[in-house]
Amino acid sequence: MSTLTVEHVARIEGHGTISVEVDNGAVGEIRMDIVEPTRFFESMVVGRRFDEAPLITSRICGICSPNHAVTSLKALEAAMGIEISERTRLLRTLLVHGSFLQNHATHLYVLAAPDYVGLPNFIPLAESHPEVVARALSIKKLGNDLTTAVGGRPVHPITAVVGGFTAEPSRADLEALAERLRSVAKDVAETVGLFSTFDVPKFDTAGEMLALKAEGEYAVYDGDVCALDAGWCRPVGEYLDFVSEHVVGHSNAKHSTIDGRTFMVGALARVNLNWDQLMPTARIVASKAGLRPISKNTFANNLCQAIELVDAAERCAMLCQRLLDETGSSKPVGYKIKAGAGTSATEAPRGTLYHTLAIDDDGFVTAGNVITPTAQNLANLEADMRAFAPTVVDLPEEQFVLRIEQLVRAYDPCLSCAVH
Amino acid sequence: MPAHVAVISLASDFGCQVQITNLDDKLLAVLGQFELSYWQLASSGHLPDTYDVAVIEGAVTTPEHVELLKRVRATARTVILIGACAVTGGIPGLAADGFDERLGCVYGDDGTLLVCGRISPMPVDSVIDVDYRVPGCPIQPDELVAVLQRALMGLADRPQREPMCASCKVAENQCFYEHGVVCLGMITRSGCGAKCISLGRPCTGCRGVAADANLEYARQVLVERGLDPARLVTALQLYNSLQEAAR
Repeated sequence: MSTLTVEHVARIEGHGTISVEVDNGAVGEIRMDIVEPTRFFESMVVGRRFDEAPLITSRICGICSPNHAVTSLKALEAAMGIEISERTRLLRTLLVHGSFLQNHATHLYVLAAPDYVGLPNFIPLAESHPEVVARALSIKKLGNDLTTAVGGRPVHPITAVVGGFTAEPSRADLEALAERLRSVAKDVAETVGLFSTFDVPKFDTAGEMLALKAEGEYAVYDGDVCALDAGWCRPVGEYLDFVSEHVVGHSNAKHSTIDGRTFMVGALARVNLNWDQLMPTARIVASKAGLRPISKNTFANNLCQAIELVDAAERCAMLCQRLLDETGSSKPVGYKIKAGAGTSATEAPRGTLYHTLAIDDDGFVTAGNVITPTAQNLANLEADMRAFAPTVVDLPEEQFVLRIEQLVRAYDPCLSCAVH
Repeated sequence: MPAHVAVISLASDFGCQVQITNLDDKLLAVLGQFELSYWQLASSGHLPDTYDVAVIEGAVTTPEHVELLKRVRATARTVILIGACAVTGGIPGLAADGFDERLGCVYGDDGTLLVCGRISPMPVDSVIDVDYRVPGCPIQPDELVAVLQRALMGLADRPQREPMCASCKVAENQCFYEHGVVCLGMITRSGCGAKCISLGRPCTGCRGVAADANLEYARQVLVERGLDPARLVTALQLYNSLQEAAR
């Protein structure tokens, strides 16, 4: 019996260690230890003023900070019964889609792609595939510029507050962004093309898939939570009734199940559940790349992230145009601080993100709960590793380990989110 | 020969490392000046036995972090801290108050099962001497580049001494105190161009307390505006709860 260990798996956000026991060609125990240090965010918001909560929770993760900020704002607005303007909703939706552009481009090119071209990291790609690097950086920069225009900077937005925005992008900014978003269409379509050429294992997850769904849009800002296999849709406010979190001894991140079953959230789940709501070009590009729902191949999550890049670019251009065409204000609406508890969810790049915040009459936070996408995925990720490892155990050790790492990176795990 | 750089992360949200990748078009030019020896976020491989420059993100929250930092200090010629977590303890520092109760509060009775030990959060300079600090939550990529250049040329760290209000005057921002809103611009280290204030948000002090900050005068300003001076300290706790000024 030998145990193969990958300490601090590279090219993922946060610290995790994979260990696989192999005995005479048979796979024994296999697990992913999440050693990312606990920061106790849910306890940190308690006692702080309500308007500091989005500032604090967005520090759970520097990669998807716009998502944490927006989800916290929504939870506070739900707690105090605050109705935001349509323009605020549009801007927040743009911020969330912008974070998809930013994140997916980073994960696909900087973190995942080196696996498929046999390189340890992104930098040597600049010599071997300069056109790919140029494309990657231009998409990522566009995502950053978009989140900067709306949120004030690429990491940890400034302008989004309870009830609205303290500043908006100028007309000139929106016009320039819309133009750039339209002209990036070719680059994002080529990203789908590139990822469709990568040789991925044929491996279907046995887990359930969950994502938000809403009438008439590719749900990221609002919607009900829907389960692909079980076929149900439930309001976000009930999430604590269907998602159960439990502590496991080898992980600082809790594991989640629904009805005792592991499940997957993220791009693959969203594309499966929201296929009809994707922008037509995204559907065409996806079909050309050979992806049609329902796909249960975990490795197809990366291809779905690329498909979401196509969707996000076109959708963000449309949102910019709507903001240019429509009047209305995103200035924070007036509200009275009052006691209450609110729950909300958005789709972060890695999947559905839930926040609950309770405040007292003076506006101080009395309780907080956060369930992040990666925390929901971890039990399914381990189940996948157990099912997948025996299918590649005959490969040379180095290749075997790489395949397991690739499976982990297909999830685009964010361990600082998962632990928080 | 180019300097070998290792990027090391403690307890953080990785946002400052993301800001390194956000150098975008400058990224390859900047990284081209170094030999990247280790960067878990972006590259396979392990922390090598030798390197010249350590770039550290995150607060100290485990005994392993303390051991790692001692090893890093014994290895690296230059230690650069990036971000509020590393420099002041940042947001993770908020957990230091009542630290022992927090495990049960978040994880319930099963909390003792969790892997790796935990210690009350600390900034990196509580454990080792450091050479350069790039403050902020998150850091500004340009400031990191400037500090790296200084480090490569062997120049000493040169922190901005003047507070944010100076940048605000240049940006012609309206003062939040005119609306009775507490802003930490009077005492916060400048250098971000007063970004938050220019976008309609008061300064929350993520860059740390300026070396020449006049805390007594700042308290007096609150009193003169009819505000409770204790609010200055509460506001300061957000990113600086482990610093003397917030106690």
